[in-house]
Amino acid sequence: MRDYVILHVNGEPVRVTGDGIFESLSRFLRVRRGAAGTKVVCEEGDCGACTVLIGRRDGDRLRYRAVNSCIQFVFQLDLAHVVTVEGLGAGALTPVQDAMVRCHGAQCGYCTPGFVMAIAGMCEEEETDAARGITGNLCRCTGYEPIVKAANESFATQKRMDAVYPSAPILERIAEHERTPVRIANFFKPKTLADAIAFKSEQPRCVIVQGGTDFGVWCNKRNFVPPAVLSLDGVEGLSDISVDGRELVVGARVPLAEFERAVRDLVPELREIMDRFGSPQIKNAGTLAGNIANASPIADTLPFLYVTGATLELTGLAGIRRVAVADFYKGYKTLDLRADEIITRVRIPLPSDGDTLRLYKVSKRSHLDISSFTAAMLMRRTDGRIDSMRVAYGGVGPVVLRLGKTEEFLKGKAISAETFAEAGEIARGEIAPISDVRGAREFRLQLAENALCRFYYDACL
Amino acid sequence: MYIGKDVPHDSALGHVTGRSLYVDDMPRLAHELIVDFLWSPHAHATILSLDVEPARAIEGVAGVYTYRDLRHNRLGPIDQDEPLLVEDTVMFRGQPIVVIAAESREAIRAAKAAIRIEYGVLRPILTIEDAIAANSYLGESRFIRRGDVDAAFASADHVIEGIFENGGQDHFYLESQAALATPGELGALTVLSSTQHPTEVQEVIAHLLGLDMSQVVVQTKRMGGGFGGKEAQATHPAVMVALVAQKLGRPARIVYDKDSDMHVTGKRHPFRNRYRAGFTRAGELVALRVELYSDGGAYADLSPAVMARAMTHAENAYFIPNVDIRGTVCRTNMPPNTAFRGFGGPQGVATIENVLEEIAQFLGKDAYDIRRANCYGDEPRNTTPYCQVVENNTLPRLFTELADRCDYRARMKAVRAFNAESKTQLKGLALTAVKFGISFNTKFLNQASALVNIYLDGSVQVSTGATEMGQGVNTKIRQLVADTLGVQLERVQVMVTSTEKSNNASATAASSAADLNGSAAVDACSRLRARLDEVLERHGGNPSWEELVMLAYHDRVSLGERGFYATPRIDWTWLSSANTGGYGHPFLYFTMGTACSEVLIDRFTGTMKVLRSDVLMDIGRPINPGVDRGQLVGGFIQGMGWVTTEELRYTESGELLSHSPTTYKIPNVHDVPEVFNVDWIEHENPVNVAGSKAVGEPPLLMAISVWCAAKHALSFVANGTPARLRLPATNEELLMRITEYTKRGAAVAG
Repeated sequence: MRDYVILHVNGEPVRVTGDGIFESLSRFLRVRRGAAGTKVVCEEGDCGACTVLIGRRDGDRLRYRAVNSCIQFVFQLDLAHVVTVEGLGAGALTPVQDAMVRCHGAQCGYCTPGFVMAIAGMCEEEETDAARGITGNLCRCTGYEPIVKAANESFATQKRMDAVYPSAPILERIAEHERTPVRIANFFKPKTLADAIAFKSEQPRCVIVQGGTDFGVWCNKRNFVPPAVLSLDGVEGLSDISVDGRELVVGARVPLAEFERAVRDLVPELREIMDRFGSPQIKNAGTLAGNIANASPIADTLPFLYVTGATLELTGLAGIRRVAVADFYKGYKTLDLRADEIITRVRIPLPSDGDTLRLYKVSKRSHLDISSFTAAMLMRRTDGRIDSMRVAYGGVGPVVLRLGKTEEFLKGKAISAETFAEAGEIARGEIAPISDVRGAREFRLQLAENALCRFYYDACL
Repeated sequence: MYIGKDVPHDSALGHVTGRSLYVDDMPRLAHELIVDFLWSPHAHATILSLDVEPARAIEGVAGVYTYRDLRHNRLGPIDQDEPLLVEDTVMFRGQPIVVIAAESREAIRAAKAAIRIEYGVLRPILTIEDAIAANSYLGESRFIRRGDVDAAFASADHVIEGIFENGGQDHFYLESQAALATPGELGALTVLSSTQHPTEVQEVIAHLLGLDMSQVVVQTKRMGGGFGGKEAQATHPAVMVALVAQKLGRPARIVYDKDSDMHVTGKRHPFRNRYRAGFTRAGELVALRVELYSDGGAYADLSPAVMARAMTHAENAYFIPNVDIRGTVCRTNMPPNTAFRGFGGPQGVATIENVLEEIAQFLGKDAYDIRRANCYGDEPRNTTPYCQVVENNTLPRLFTELADRCDYRARMKAVRAFNAESKTQLKGLALTAVKFGISFNTKFLNQASALVNIYLDGSVQVSTGATEMGQGVNTKIRQLVADTLGVQLERVQVMVTSTEKSNNASATAASSAADLNGSAAVDACSRLRARLDEVLERHGGNPSWEELVMLAYHDRVSLGERGFYATPRIDWTWLSSANTGGYGHPFLYFTMGTACSEVLIDRFTGTMKVLRSDVLMDIGRPINPGVDRGQLVGGFIQGMGWVTTEELRYTESGELLSHSPTTYKIPNVHDVPEVFNVDWIEHENPVNVAGSKAVGEPPLLMAISVWCAAKHALSFVANGTPARLRLPATNEELLMRITEYTKRGAAVAG
């Protein structure tokens, strides 16, 4: 058992122990390490100013991903290599930085280190769509045009991180530590699932922190102090994503970015939702299991998981239990999850050829915005008639809802604009949304009604 | 020569490597304290009791201060009506009450929790309508008038009227408000402030702490964005740290967190304007009456000046023979609204562009033709309602050239065809204009100084009152200095802005920092160059710059110079008589432009996408085309945010709900128009430094074309009546209007 975490910062090994592990990475960098290039603006992962690269073992090399350092904590960085704007070129100006200078990609400069790191992250992932790469970064000065230009001009020549910082020596230094679990105060990072379950049953209020993308916000904005923290990072077997028959099986540690990659061809309808879901920084850190466990009624993946009939594999002291995602929520943020249980896998039945699937996400801003309303609809039809219809809405109540009456009404009906218009009115009657910062009740009611009409025009003509 | 060249931003290298330092990045100083403040959770309340003693007792708390600890407690850029710290009555939610200095964040948190305040909650005024009903205003109404509006209405072919409403906008500078004070000898203070106005910070610190201005040095290296939000409201945090440094003799730093910054600071002014427009069958405006009402918030701040600019921009690019503009600032219990890029101009311009869009919809004509017909032209159609003649008018050219370039006619036809066909989407297209007056309305602010020092090795330092917030003013000044002196750009260093070097400087505002400070720097450099030329003449030969400097030094010729500039020709008078109102020649010149935007709106969700925007401007001859393009593109996108997704939502008790990027949505990279063409015409400005024009604010107003395009799209479902639309045109606003019009249409049809 180790009582410290070990990480590298710009090539240099650092050990942290005690309360220091609960410090946010951005604070750790700025205050403890005196590296003020990483800027902190929103402290909730929504602006990208604090973006850094995190390298983790992927076979015999380190694989780097861009994340928001304001909502990462030092304990999450055990065995990782953190690269900041100061260390990007190890002293030399990199092509991305040079292009940002030439293209006037920086005005006030406060967002600039974050953009530089996000573009460097694109190069690591071989992402060539600049807009996708910088979705998670806000700039108030430039209007993005020069930054996109700088990205386009530079990623072909940007050096990969393992060329700047050879992986081997770093991996060598962490090798002996990889074999040991970590226990520091109420933080536990076990090596086996059994140990994880045992810890969770002893500490039923512990928080499982994987990506920590919402956990970080609670800590920063609500002064949340977790009773205990469990990390599954050391547990093997939870990071696989595979197709099992007609089911996609997603391990609890699979980041959303990996999930997105996997479903790109399997479920093309999900592409736009995953694209708009969040930034690369969030998708690189957050997991599908985390999105489910967080139980937000406007979680972007949930309506899809509802209509496809996805199930959760919950592992506890008594073994494995399977629960449908749609049955998992007992009320607002209340889960059908026993104290000792951990979500280990998500199993998603893939839509078959005859299925018509449509997903909707309505938000004030198209990308990087929490939804006002979400919907998923899955229709089976024979000729001009509806055999069955599944409708799930989010943002219209305390949990994502299946619309039973609407589904019942549509069953067996002939497909027509009138049918769906009438279904829309029924749908409106099945929900009781609230007014909040993301939209008034009346707006959500209208969206609920219109979504079925939109479905008709999108999928039935 | 460097003028006219695309020289990189002078801080670019530091920005991309993370080495540029902002207030929060300065290494901690020995004995430094963290400063924060406790603010009112109520919009309007009396303080029944206040007990700070429990906070003082907390370990790590070094000081707890109320208004009683200040020598004076009133500040404000125009009227000194705002207390820094609440005395007995809270006037807005977020108003500071107690300043706390501590060793750690934890101690600050504990101190805040320990302070006991009993409030007598009062009913707040939270909207313009409420303020009008309660007769709650900041100052008197003002007027700009010409001709006989009532007679013109009576003889006009048509008259329309309505109400235009726009929401506020948060500055959302990435770097929140911040300041760091260090105590010096015998009461002196040095304050590093993220401010657009070091002199005001200096003046207010001196006044509130009972010091001479000469005892206070305020420095601004750079800001991580300002946009007007750090013109008047950077003062508050700076005074707080200065107070702590004065009381405890220790360095003190404050950095607002994003949420607090958004909660407590003022925003762009919401307006609610009543308008009545008379026009001919052909769509020519004959009369306009506009009653502008702004939400000034709880104290004056810059609201009267913002209103003045709204009033002088309420006719925008259009000649209207009979005009009656009335401007009234409402007093509410919101944080004092303040300067924001455009400074009232956007609200005035959006109002008249809305009217023109409605006239077109009313007459069933193309709005471009209506605008083009009403545009300022030659004499006598070239005089503003406040008597300034529109000189060097390029508006007609900008209209015609942009319409050609962006293929307006064909695209309008395509939009009509699309809307007739599509059951799921609507398109809209609008081509709008901007005529933006350059100079401070307040005459005395139009002055600047510069200090230029040449060192023995030939390197040059220049200091001006301009502050750098990303807009590139330092880069432009550097180019002007290098060319005027005849020295390599690399040898010129633009120094930190300091009240010690540039006394009594005006704010970096009104787009005019490069005009004013650049002119002052050129003034200093011209005199230095003349002296160096004399030295050259005396010695002959062909010495290098460095050799020439050495010759001058040995000849005991001064190698330092202070330059000064006061904008010529400008004047402005507010007549107290309600009949005439304001008049004069408030602007040295106008920056002009036209923009055409096309939008696509989903009929079922209200989701809007900007398909294409074309912007064509007259920005004179740019000193730095790269920097200016950055202003054009960046300003347009920021304006797009204001007119589309940036919505401030409040609870019924005045609590801001959209107080961080999770809930307040500034444009993202995906919101940039799919096709985005930004260009300018070749047109030297004869009255400004290097033939250039100010470029900071005007492009923001070009984004009003996006809002007008949305309004145009709505006209296709509005069944022949002008479509009403609030600004911002959020997806929610659009869907509610579409639903309303569709249902009304169905009712009519049924």
